[in-house]
Amino acid sequence: MNDHSNDPFDELMRRALAEEGDRIEPADALPEIRARAHAQRRPATRRPWVVTAGAAALGTAAAIGAFTVLDDNGKSATDDQIAGPGTTTSASGVPLSTTPGPTTATPLPPTVVPSASGKPEPAVKGALVPVYWLGDRVGVTREPTVRLYRTWAKVQGRPAVEAVRIMTSKQPPDPDYYSVWRGAEVNSVTRGNGVVTVDFNQLPKTRLDPAVADVAAQQLIYTVQGALGDSSEQVQITQQGRPGGMLFGQVDTSRPLSRAQAANVQALVWINSPMDGQITKSPVTVEGIAAAYEATVNWRAVNLKTRATQQGFTNTKEGQKLSPFAVTLKLTPGQWRIEAYLISAEDGRITDTDSKTVIAK
Amino acid sequence: MVYEECVTHESSWDADEALTAVYTAHYTSLVRLGALLLRDTGTAEEIVQDAFVAMHGRWNRLRDPHQALAYLRTAVVNRCRSRQRHLVVVDKHTPRSLPDEPSAEHAVLRTAETDRVIEAMRTLPEKQRTVMVLRYYGDLSEAEIAEAMGISRGSVKSHAARATKSLRQVLEQSL
Repeated sequence: MNDHSNDPFDELMRRALAEEGDRIEPADALPEIRARAHAQRRPATRRPWVVTAGAAALGTAAAIGAFTVLDDNGKSATDDQIAGPGTTTSASGVPLSTTPGPTTATPLPPTVVPSASGKPEPAVKGALVPVYWLGDRVGVTREPTVRLYRTWAKVQGRPAVEAVRIMTSKQPPDPDYYSVWRGAEVNSVTRGNGVVTVDFNQLPKTRLDPAVADVAAQQLIYTVQGALGDSSEQVQITQQGRPGGMLFGQVDTSRPLSRAQAANVQALVWINSPMDGQITKSPVTVEGIAAAYEATVNWRAVNLKTRATQQGFTNTKEGQKLSPFAVTLKLTPGQWRIEAYLISAEDGRITDTDSKTVIAK
Repeated sequence: MVYEECVTHESSWDADEALTAVYTAHYTSLVRLGALLLRDTGTAEEIVQDAFVAMHGRWNRLRDPHQALAYLRTAVVNRCRSRQRHLVVVDKHTPRSLPDEPSAEHAVLRTAETDRVIEAMRTLPEKQRTVMVLRYYGDLSEAEIAEAMGISRGSVKSHAARATKSLRQVLEQSL
């Protein structure tokens, strides 16, 4: 019924209802919906992960990558047949994957027995966990020049172990993000005496600048604490049960590390929705979080084929601190890159940015 | 940083992936739709969450995000409508006002114009109000409204015509 939009009555109705609707900001309910959906799910609705893995291999990683497809090297449980809480009791009781086909997983080697002081987290059937990545700031010389960006991944098994595994072995779902933890092999995540211990078979061997190394250490701390849903406990990093290695050649791990202030390490602007590679309707609402000078977030949308560009700015709910923003864009069909960015109050340079490539229908 | 070829495989999504994608794209707008129908955000959130749980269980039959959205819309509209009918019955016995504000802390003042329209919408019978919300907030076509409400397109037309007539009257008076 878009045919009488010139009628002032129709205009009034649209405007008033849109305004009334915009007053409502529901809280995030996805974790709750997922938990309820899984509680009532029957085996008949299960689909093997193989399909997704195949699709991702075709180059659609962006569309599907947000869910971080677990790979076939047997390091992760790769389907829904995972044992739930209560069925996995021993320290070495990593559930076996039963996925058929080419991605058949081999049983994991037994997990290192957790130290006497710590307990592994319980395994779950499904959880949505935050995974943090590094992203470069642009045009800044002040340190740190990298910041943490968050994505979400769906995991089964032990959420913190799986989250770290994703962070250390997978491609981030946004091609602008990266991880300096690649190559590290996580053994276990255990908790006890107010400390979370993350044990690695092998720590990353990369050497980094001190400032980058600090943020990279926080990448692990944020990811682990996010998966555990508890940011109060310090994180002890060990290699084969022993603390004390120099992480990235810079960070002393002889003692547990504390979580840094979000304002010092998190990206100052990021887009939560849409996800990279998502297919969207138009108009699409771009939602994100930013800590912006005078609450101003700039945005730009570029059609990658026609180079048609739209730009403007919007405000976060509050200035200076991490606070949500939203902007609604009308996009013609095609592939668009949407960017949200902050501008330096001093010299007008772009300092922080996040971008998502989407397909508008 | 750009994927040159973006082939989409929505139909290979499993229920969890579909849930996350459809949730991300439509949860807020469905809650808003429900809240406009019910004037009660808390109940609208519950109803929309129920609908998402049901959609997840039914994904094998839906298999397509667009069908999933149509399913969700119908489920939300139906549940809101039966909730309203229930409230009407309850109201007859225990007169009370419906909760009007989304919540105290979010109570941003409306513009006078919106206030008049929302007040005027309240005078409409339930079906007429639902048609108007779906038409002007949901931006749905006659056919889509008919499907979501389970009534004929002819009925949608006549409800819309009657609602428009009375709203115009009320709004002119209040000017």
